[in-house]
Amino acid sequence: MDWSGWALFGLMATGALTAVMIAAQMAGFTRLDLPLVLGTLVTPDPDRARVVGFFLHLIAGQTFALGYAWTFALLGWSSWWLGGLLGLLHGAVALTLILPLLPGVHPRMASHRAGPSSRAGLEPPGLLGLNYGVQTPAVAAAAHVLYGVVLGLLLGAR
Amino acid sequence: MSAVPIPPVPIGDYGLLGDTRTALLVSGSGSIDWMCAPAFDSPPVFGRLVGGPGAGSFRVGPARPSTLVSRRYRGDSATLETVWAADGGRLTLTEAMVAEVSGRLLPTSLLVRRLAAEGQPVEVEVHYDPRPARPRECRWSRRNGHLVCESGPLALSLRCEPTLQLEPGTPVRAVVAPGRPLTLVLGVAYGEPLVYVDPAAAWELVAADEARWEAWAAEIVSDLPFRPAVVRSLLTLRLLTYSPSGAPVAAPTTSLPENPGGVRNWDYRFTWPRDASIGVATFLGVGKTREAGSFLSWLLHASRLARPRLPALLTLMGRTVPRERELAWPGYAGSTPVRLGNLAAEQHQLDGYGWVLDAAWVFEKGGHRLYSETWRAMRAFADLVAARWREPDAGIWEVRGSPAHHVHSKLMGWLALDRALRLAERHRVSRGRRRRWEQARAALAAEVRERGVDAATGSYARAYGADDVDAALLMLPLLGFDDPASPRVRATIDRIRSELSAGDDGLVYRYPPGRDGLPGTEGAFLPCSFWLVQALALTGRRDEAVAVFSSLLERSTPLGLYAEELDPETGEQLGNFPQALTHAALVQAALALRDTAGTGQGRGA
Repeated sequence: MDWSGWALFGLMATGALTAVMIAAQMAGFTRLDLPLVLGTLVTPDPDRARVVGFFLHLIAGQTFALGYAWTFALLGWSSWWLGGLLGLLHGAVALTLILPLLPGVHPRMASHRAGPSSRAGLEPPGLLGLNYGVQTPAVAAAAHVLYGVVLGLLLGAR
Repeated sequence: MSAVPIPPVPIGDYGLLGDTRTALLVSGSGSIDWMCAPAFDSPPVFGRLVGGPGAGSFRVGPARPSTLVSRRYRGDSATLETVWAADGGRLTLTEAMVAEVSGRLLPTSLLVRRLAAEGQPVEVEVHYDPRPARPRECRWSRRNGHLVCESGPLALSLRCEPTLQLEPGTPVRAVVAPGRPLTLVLGVAYGEPLVYVDPAAAWELVAADEARWEAWAAEIVSDLPFRPAVVRSLLTLRLLTYSPSGAPVAAPTTSLPENPGGVRNWDYRFTWPRDASIGVATFLGVGKTREAGSFLSWLLHASRLARPRLPALLTLMGRTVPRERELAWPGYAGSTPVRLGNLAAEQHQLDGYGWVLDAAWVFEKGGHRLYSETWRAMRAFADLVAARWREPDAGIWEVRGSPAHHVHSKLMGWLALDRALRLAERHRVSRGRRRRWEQARAALAAEVRERGVDAATGSYARAYGADDVDAALLMLPLLGFDDPASPRVRATIDRIRSELSAGDDGLVYRYPPGRDGLPGTEGAFLPCSFWLVQALALTGRRDEAVAVFSSLLERSTPLGLYAEELDPETGEQLGNFPQALTHAALVQAALALRDTAGTGQGRGA
């Protein structure tokens, strides 16, 4: 497996994904803020949470990149479009599995069952993250496709 | 569906049950005529209130004609108790929704209704007729003793103990003997499996919930005048706060008329940033910091997409409010159209920024430092006000005509800039930005004093060049724009009291009737009537304030609830019900009375 490629390009791909998400947020397309969502696992202060969350996001991105690297190694080849396809799958898993499951484990995220004693501040993402804006699925899919394309282009199939 | 309006149950006859995710209205006869599921803004499951008999209801109560003996919430809880004299005995209906379901294997919404007889056996009737809106039909089945209705992703299960052979849409009778209560449990699931709850276990959940509400109410500061009414208002506000996002819903209903039989019927199952902001100060004032922080947090997240523009209203999850459409329903007392969605979402309302920035300032002043992100949002709002204050707007009353230069909006724009500048003393801001805000604040104040004053009366006018007045100007003594003791503030309050008066007891209209371009009239506007109390208290007229407040409390429903408006002659509640803004205004009026106690007038309250 391309370990050195994984170490470097995993970071680059995660950086690209984060950049797309932040740009989409700034443009008003979505309120999904992955560093905030991850960082508030640790601290309630949004600014500090974003810093912590950014590093948690890097770790998560690096972990997922491992899966891409293994897949490329297993298939014996890689390309930008194969990476893009994997990215699409990755985005679908994030939207349909990871985000909806988060309220069950996130101490500061409410769920649709939250009651008066709930101390959770973050609203739940809902199906496909739609509570964070109707364009959230499209933005998340685009960001993950880009993540996959970067890895597909740069990671070797060794 | 019949086109002939059926004589409706008066709006004020309804009690509110809720679980902070959705709510229902139950009449004095024990009929649930309104309940949306799974959330406040979902389609109704029981919609008889505005949809007529074909839209569904759920009644339990005496089978034969009976007399209503009493109706009350149990202590400071959300459990409702209705007592009838029937069949020579007494029948008590105790009912509640279970609010705390998190962390336990329970349905998202759980309604428990228990009928208990005293003295003599009483024949009761159960009429269960849910009509989920999409699709209209239920697929019925019986499983494990539960009567199950499935309709798309929505599923309802009803269980009765002792067992009754319930038939959907058909009244079923049974005899309740003393010491052998009848318990009904309705569970709601949406897009997930139903969870069957045993009636005995459900009753224990109600008791535990009741204790939690009592504990919640006990945390409210003790020095409130008229405490029982204020606590009931706070409980109502909390019941109308959507816990999954922290958003306060303006009211749990749509299209209850401001003018029965007329067209003034709006969908209020959304959140106005203005209401959330008022809620911040309301909850902070009574020591409920968590609820205040939750409203501010919702404002921050919900406004993220449109920022720096602040939408006039948003869905409970902070999404854009759906386009307004009309249902072919008969409406309450024939009041059509029944609307879903709200067109006001597209309006530019300058005053909203003032409310939000004031809430942030109150929060910070209360010793709770704003996060940097919150401050950045507030800065953006202040920038927008500094850039756009010269434009006309739709105003606080969302009149669907041409925008105007509303004096209240301008004053709230001034408030936005003033509070931003106060916050800037504690947070980082560039000199250039601060200067822009200062210049805009000064220019705005000069323009309002020049163009917003009616020369004949010396009071502020409704809009530039207008000869009438606006009850929203009762906010004046709170703003710091003018000295509360100034002749202009006093003249404005007095003019509102005389020209917008809807009776001798302090009820006021929000603007002169007939000036909004809609056919028909409307009732006295209750939030403004409570703002009058606040204005009087803060301008050194506390005795008058106490008198008005006392009269207004007598105008509540027997359960201490208020709609948005009131018919000053009949005392009927009008408009969507119960209304969060009215209850928040009640609490703020009480806080003003508390804060002015000892100022030399009327210490008695």
